[in-house]
Amino acid sequence: MNATRRQFLGCGSAALAGMTAKGERRIAGSFVDDAFASGHQIRDRAPVSTAPRQERIPVVIVGGGIAGLSAAWRLQKRGFRDFVLLEMNGQAGGNARSGENEVSAYPWAAHYVPVPGPKATYVRELFEELGVLRDGVWNERFLCFSPQERLYLYGAWQEGIEPSIGLSRKDREQFERLEYLFAAFRDSGAFTIPMELGLSQSPRDLDRLSFADWLTQRGIDSPLALWYMNYCCRDDYGALAADTSAWAGVHYFASRVPEEKGPLTWPEGNGWITAQLLRRVGWSVRTGQMVRRIERPGKRQGNQFLVLTDKVSYATDAVIYAAPSFLAPYLLEGFSKLQKFEYSPWLTANLTVDRPPRGAGTAERAWDNVVARSPTLGYVDATHQTLRSQVDRTVWTFYWALAEGSPAANRALLLQKDWRYWSEAILSDLERVHPDIRNCVSRIDIMRMGHAMARPVVGSIFDPQRRELAQGRTRLLFANSDLSGFSIFEEAQFRGVEAADKILNRLGRS
Amino acid sequence: MALVLFISVFLISACGLIYELVAATLASYLVGDSVFQFSTIIGCYLFSMGIGSALSRYIRRGLVHRFIWIELMIGLIGGFSSALLFLAFAYTQSFAFLMYFIVTMIGILVGLEIPLLMRIVRGHFDFRDAVAHVLTFDYIGALAASLLFPIILVPRLGLVRSAMLFGIVNAGVALWSTYLFAAQLGNRRLLRGMSAIVLTILLGGLLGAKRITTAAEENIYADEIIFARDSRYQHIVLTRFKDDLRLFLNSHLQFSSRDEYRYHESLVHPGLSAIPTPRRVLVLGGGDGLAVREILKYPQIESVTLVDLDPEMTRLFSSNGMLTALNQRSFLSPKVHVVNADAFPWIDSDTTSADFIVLDFPDPTNYALGKLYTTAFYRAAARHLSAQGLLVVQSTSPMFARDSFWCIETTLRQAGLKTYPYHVYVPSFGEWGFIIASLRDYSMPKSLPAGLRFLNVESLPALFQFPPDMARIPMPPNTLNDQVLVRAYDRDWKDISH
Repeated sequence: MNATRRQFLGCGSAALAGMTAKGERRIAGSFVDDAFASGHQIRDRAPVSTAPRQERIPVVIVGGGIAGLSAAWRLQKRGFRDFVLLEMNGQAGGNARSGENEVSAYPWAAHYVPVPGPKATYVRELFEELGVLRDGVWNERFLCFSPQERLYLYGAWQEGIEPSIGLSRKDREQFERLEYLFAAFRDSGAFTIPMELGLSQSPRDLDRLSFADWLTQRGIDSPLALWYMNYCCRDDYGALAADTSAWAGVHYFASRVPEEKGPLTWPEGNGWITAQLLRRVGWSVRTGQMVRRIERPGKRQGNQFLVLTDKVSYATDAVIYAAPSFLAPYLLEGFSKLQKFEYSPWLTANLTVDRPPRGAGTAERAWDNVVARSPTLGYVDATHQTLRSQVDRTVWTFYWALAEGSPAANRALLLQKDWRYWSEAILSDLERVHPDIRNCVSRIDIMRMGHAMARPVVGSIFDPQRRELAQGRTRLLFANSDLSGFSIFEEAQFRGVEAADKILNRLGRS
Repeated sequence: MALVLFISVFLISACGLIYELVAATLASYLVGDSVFQFSTIIGCYLFSMGIGSALSRYIRRGLVHRFIWIELMIGLIGGFSSALLFLAFAYTQSFAFLMYFIVTMIGILVGLEIPLLMRIVRGHFDFRDAVAHVLTFDYIGALAASLLFPIILVPRLGLVRSAMLFGIVNAGVALWSTYLFAAQLGNRRLLRGMSAIVLTILLGGLLGAKRITTAAEENIYADEIIFARDSRYQHIVLTRFKDDLRLFLNSHLQFSSRDEYRYHESLVHPGLSAIPTPRRVLVLGGGDGLAVREILKYPQIESVTLVDLDPEMTRLFSSNGMLTALNQRSFLSPKVHVVNADAFPWIDSDTTSADFIVLDFPDPTNYALGKLYTTAFYRAAARHLSAQGLLVVQSTSPMFARDSFWCIETTLRQAGLKTYPYHVYVPSFGEWGFIIASLRDYSMPKSLPAGLRFLNVESLPALFQFPPDMARIPMPPNTLNDQVLVRAYDRDWKDISH
C-alpha cells in the first residue's frame, strides 16, 4: 500500500510529498523534584540558625515516607494524636510518591505491593481498612489486571518475566533446580515478610557470601538463569547479584507464598496507599520541613529531644526517626559512623506516550514490560489498571537501577549528566523493542534518586549496628526499611508500626 | 500540434469511460445485482452523452474557452464521484438518485467534449481527417481505460483514488489546452488559475483519500465488500452477496442478515418475555440495533438505553437505508437513547436500574474485551438489576468454545448470580450460547411476542437442554487479575482452525 502511494507521488507531486514527510517529534520534559539540593545541605552541614519559634509536642516523626506515615497511622489508631510528622519534601510519600498529568496518575518509584501473606498482619490490617481485602477476598479491581508481565527475549515477547520460551535443556534444568532450592528455604519458614519474624531461625551463613557466589557454588551457570537472578536483585535491591547478600537473594524467592494472583497495584502505584494514609493522618504532616539537627539537651529540661528545623524547634519526649539512616550521622550528635549501610542510586522516568508503538511482536501490552539483557528494568504502564477497553494515550514509568559499578560513581553520573543525556539513553533502550518510540513519546520527566533504597550487601542483614538500631532501646526509635536491609513497602510499614507501639509503651500510654 | 491534440482525445476518452466503470462497479458493490447496474448505468451514460452532443450545437462562440471549462467540471465531478457515492451510501437514503444524477451530469459533459473538439480542430485539418483521427483516438482511449481499470486501477488504487486520478487527468488536459490553443483564448490567466485550483483540490483528494478496501483485504471476505471503514476503535466492514448482508468488526463476523433473527430473537425473548412488567431496558454493546429491534416488540417498555463504544457504528446503523431497514429504524425510536461510552466505566458510574440488561459484546478475543466478562463487571452490572430484573449474556459457542462458554457461566455464578444457560443454532455462526442470570429464580415465559420467525413457546425448553458434547465442564471464573477466559477462548478456536 505504501509502495503504491510512493510510486504515485513520484509520478507527479514530488513537491507535495516533501511537504507531508514528518520530521522527528520534539520531546519535552525535565528533571523533577530532586531531593539533591536539600540533601546536600545536610551533608555539607550547613549552619543551623536558631529557629525563631519553639513548639512543645510529645512525639515527633521525622520523615513522611511509608514508615513515617505508618507510624502516624498506628499512633492515631491507638488514640494518640499528640504528634507531628516532619517531611523534607513538598510532598509526603517518599518512595511511594506519585504524580499526575492530563493522561493518567503515575508512580515515581514503588508501584506495587505483592499480595501479603499471613504473617504480614499490619499490611493485611491496613488493606482491610482500605477495602482492598474484604472477608478474606482480595478486591480484584486492585489486583493487577491480566496480562501482568511480559519479557522480550529472542526477538519476541513472552508472557511472564521468568523466561519460559526458547530455553535450552540446561536452562530449564537450572531453573528447576533453583526452584527446588528456593522451595526448601520457603518450607523452612525462616524467610518471612516482615523479615524480623523469621530472622533468628534463618541461616546466618547465607549473609556471609554474595548471591552470585552462592549461585556459582550451586553450579548455576546458565546465562538465562543468571540474567533472571540478576534482574530480580536489580529490581528489588537496585544491585547486581554480586553485590547482594545471598541471604537477601534467597529471601526474594523464598519469602512469598501468594494466596491470590497479584500483585496489588494502582495507576499511581503505591502513591495510592500514600494518599489513603494522608486522608487519615494528613493533619499531622508538615511538608517542606527539613530537620537540620536532633539534639539531646539533657533530662533536666524536662524534654528528651530538640528537633530543629529552619522554622521551628520542637521540644519533644520521643522521636520516631523514619528518614533514611544515611542521614542520621549528619542529624544526630555522637552517632557512630554507619558501616554496612549502602544505598543504590536509581533513576525513574515518566514518559507520556501519545499512541501505542507499533511492531516488535504482537503480544498484548502488559503492566510490566521487561527486555532481557537490558541494563534497565523496563517500564510499567500506568493505564493498565483502567477499566476502559479502549486506551489511546498512556504514561509509562521507566525504571533504571544503576547497578553496574560503584554507587558513588553512579551518583556522580546522575548529577553530572543532563536531561538530554538520560532521555536519550531511555529512548535508545526502548528503541530496541519499540523502533518507532520516538514518534510516540511527547514528554519525558526524570527523577534522579541518589540514595533510592538500602542495598542488602554481604553482611548487612546480621550487621550488629543494624540489629542494635532495630532493637530501639531509647526514646529515639529508628523506623525505616533500612533496618531490614532492603526497601520494600511491607518492611517500611512494619518498622513504622512497631516504632509507634514501642513509643506508646515507653510513654506509658499502652 | 496534431499528436498533442490526439493524445488529449485519447486521455479524455479514457477518463469518460473510467467514470462510467467506477459508477457501475460501485453500484454493483454497494447495491448488488451487477448486470442490472452495469446495463442501466451504461444506458444512462450513453443517453446523456447524446444529450450532450445535441446540446453542443447551442455553443456558438468561445469554443476553446467552453471546452476548458467543461474539462474542469468533468474533472471535479468525475474525480469526486466515487467518494461522494460511498459517503451517500453510508449516510443518506438517496444513493440511487445521486448515482444516476452524477452519471447523467458526467455523460452530458463528456457528450459535449468530442463535438466541440472536432469543431475546434476543423480549421487545422481537413474535416475528413479530423473525424477519422479524433474518433480513432477516442476508441483507443476507451480500450486503454477498459483494460487499465480491472487490471491496475481497482486492485492497486481502489475506486475512490482511481476516480480522483482521472479527475486530475481531465484537469491536466484543461490546463494543457490553455497552452495548446493559446492563440484562440482571451482570458488565459483566469483559466490557468482555475485549472490550478481544480488540480490542487483533486491532488489533495487523492493524497487524503484512503483506499476503501485493499486487495489483500478482499481475500479475507468471501463476498463483495460494500462498506469498509476504520473507526477510532475498530475496522468495520459490510459485505453483501445477493440478499445476504454481513457485518464484520475487526474481521469477526457479527451477523448475517439471513439468519440474524435467530440470534437476536434468542438473545432477547427468553429473558425479556419472562419479566412480568418490563419498563426499562439496558443494552451494552449491540451497536447494530438488532437487539433493540427485538426489545421494541414489547409496547410496555418505556425506555431502552444502548451503550456502545463506537459512534461510527451507531451512526451507520441509524442512517444507512439498508441497515435501518434491517434494524427497523430501532435507533430512531423516541424510546431509545444511544450512549457512546466505554461499557465498564459507564456501568460503574451510572446509577439507574433496569428490568432487563443485555450484554452483547464482541467475543473475548483479547484482554481489553475480556474485562467485560469478569466477576468485577458482572457484579457492577448486577447492581443495576431491579427486583424483577434479568440479565442475559451472549456467551460464544458452547460447541466450538465449550471451555469459554462454561467459564462465562462460572464467572456469573461467582459474581453471585443464578444462571440459566441455553443455546440455539444460527447457521452462519453454528451452535451459539447465551446465559440468563439473575438474583431471583427464572422460569420460562408462557408467551412470546407475536410475529417471531424462530422462537415459539413450545420449542423454548429444548434450548435449555445441553447434549453431552456441550455439557458443563468445570472451569475457573474469569477475573480482572486472571483472565482465564481470553486464554481459553484462544485455545478453543485454535483447536478448530487446526
